[in-house]
Amino acid sequence: MSIMEYCGAAIVAMVGKDCVAIASDKRLGQQQLTVDMEFQKVFPITERTYIGLSGLATDVKTLHDRLRMRVNLYKHREERVIEPKTFTHLLSHMLYERRFGSYFISPVVAGLDKNNRPYICALDTIGCIDSSSDFVVCGTAATNLYGACESLWEPDLGPEELFETISQTLLSSIDRDAMSGWGAVVHIITPSGVITRDLKSRMD
Amino acid sequence: MSSLLSHEIGYSAPIEVHNHGFSPYVNNEGTSLGICGEDFVLVASDTRQSNGGYSINARRSPKAFELSNRTVIATTGCAADAKQLVEDMEQRAQYYVHKHGREMSTPAMAQVLSQLLYTRRFFPYYVFPIFAGLDAKGKGAVYNYDAIGNIECVSHYAYGSAAALLQPFLDNQINKAHQRGADTTAKPSRAQAVKLAIDAFTSATERDIYTGDWLEIFIVDSEGVHKLTRELKHD
Amino acid sequence: MDRYSFSLTTFSPNGKLLQIEHALAAVGNGSTSVGIKAANGVVVATEKKTGSSLIDVSSLEHMAMICDSIGMVYSGMGPDFRVLVNRARKAAQTYRRTYMEDPPVRILVKELAGVMQEFTQSGGVRPFGVSLLLAGVDDRGPNLYQVDPSGSYFPWKATAIGKNMVNSKTFLEKRFNGDMELEDAVYTAILTLKEGFEGQMTEQSIDVGIISTIPAVEGEDTLKQSKFQRLTQAEIKDYLSNIA
Repeated sequence: MSIMEYCGAAIVAMVGKDCVAIASDKRLGQQQLTVDMEFQKVFPITERTYIGLSGLATDVKTLHDRLRMRVNLYKHREERVIEPKTFTHLLSHMLYERRFGSYFISPVVAGLDKNNRPYICALDTIGCIDSSSDFVVCGTAATNLYGACESLWEPDLGPEELFETISQTLLSSIDRDAMSGWGAVVHIITPSGVITRDLKSRMD
Repeated sequence: MSSLLSHEIGYSAPIEVHNHGFSPYVNNEGTSLGICGEDFVLVASDTRQSNGGYSINARRSPKAFELSNRTVIATTGCAADAKQLVEDMEQRAQYYVHKHGREMSTPAMAQVLSQLLYTRRFFPYYVFPIFAGLDAKGKGAVYNYDAIGNIECVSHYAYGSAAALLQPFLDNQINKAHQRGADTTAKPSRAQAVKLAIDAFTSATERDIYTGDWLEIFIVDSEGVHKLTRELKHD
Repeated sequence: MDRYSFSLTTFSPNGKLLQIEHALAAVGNGSTSVGIKAANGVVVATEKKTGSSLIDVSSLEHMAMICDSIGMVYSGMGPDFRVLVNRARKAAQTYRRTYMEDPPVRILVKELAGVMQEFTQSGGVRPFGVSLLLAGVDDRGPNLYQVDPSGSYFPWKATAIGKNMVNSKTFLEKRFNGDMELEDAVYTAILTLKEGFEGQMTEQSIDVGIISTIPAVEGEDTLKQSKFQRLTQAEIKDYLSNIA
């Protein structure tokens, strides 16, 4: 079994009209054994940039810690808040530094830039950026999520519609993936703030 | 001793080892689905045939078939095995007509298919069938099988290279498990089912390279079997 | 010779590092440079002084582009300037490599000031014999910074460094106003240099660099940040002819 599938995850980000959403499941596993049902995989980087980290849990924590350090340094050095796109390039750079001993992580970034334009992208383990204007997915349920997103997503959804769409997408996908599930969390990033909601789901 | 012998001969001939690997199975990829309605059933398959690489064997090689005027079957897996299996099914159906003077019922045919698959328990057909038809009361029934005949009667199902893409979408739109206030027992109308099938395949062709070219939809209702064809992406 | 003038890392009893004072003296001997921050950009200008009329002045480079959005001039020692240009370009590219965008001017200034400070405290080195003017634009708009051999840096609306610094600054204090457009600022910069200019000012004897905050049109309808550019001799000639 691949180390990328050791812990299990389902993470998805979607673009809406003047808003973005990012959602993840909460399961942490060691292969088929579920260890934690409240494991955080989506983290705020700034007030309007969020990152979802799927892959090996130890790398999720380590990378998040290092990112937090780099973003804080940036904040103090430059006296400004890092933009989602700039942050993505920082992340890409940090991942490629470990080109031949990479973090077992595939991240998803979602945020609003200073002009309130939505930005989402996914990266591979060594930092190749895959930016998208509709949706991005990662984790063991990636294929399921792709299928659901491809059919359920539509352009210019408002915050509440986007919440419904991303929730339906995530819940339907984790129900068909044994490695992810056990509750879910959704963040809707809007110009006026972030709405965070926990979702109940099948616990099996 | 051996060193003495080789010394006497003076050389040792290299031994050539030939591996005659026998691999009787090929996965011809592609996707099939089945949806059960109140008084109809639907199966749909794309017609692209490939072999797991980057080449396309055929753009129009159907893998869903009409078995009788009230049953259809959609397959994925090895196309050759599927063809054999379907011909066998047709033959069984014919025998039954000769023997009993009437057509086999849908549940009976579902059971026959399971039996056929299990007879090959230790050298199975590499086929994952979705069998669908109307029962004696005219109600729809969709069955899915594994390669050795394990049978399940379901409201909808997807098999094949894009199954993981289609299944969550169908779960969401047909079972409506997460939709608050929705009627989770309601079955889709015929128009809804056709739309779902087309949407599902259109989406699948966006992400799965093995699914595409043409979509064949079979609908069984009280009037018999109807066939629709839609064009899918050819890339 | 007193015993505090050699080692960089030794303070004199009155609290000064004499080598840095000497470095500033070297800057004071260098040809004058001026910088003006306009409403929509920044201009920097400098004299290209030559010891001999036989030198081909077109080959002299008193001004350098550090990255698309930032340019730099100096007063003082030319060879020291080139070392700092290399450092600055490398810092800018390292920043780009990390963030995929040009560094804000202040970040680059701090980087260079850091380098220059290091050369006031390390063993076996001497301070840089230059003061720098950095002109650039970023999120905050136009920026003009001065960096000194000590590693101190200052943001300016308009300033001058080098031989004629005092007179030039007095001139700028009279002429500068914050609403000035880039075009006006170029004239003002040239006029400032002209104060106390030895001999005839020609398009060959000065260098002018500009950077605008107004995006340049690139292709059909894509806008892109304007680049720092040195004016061509023909362009400088036009400005000079309008002044005279």
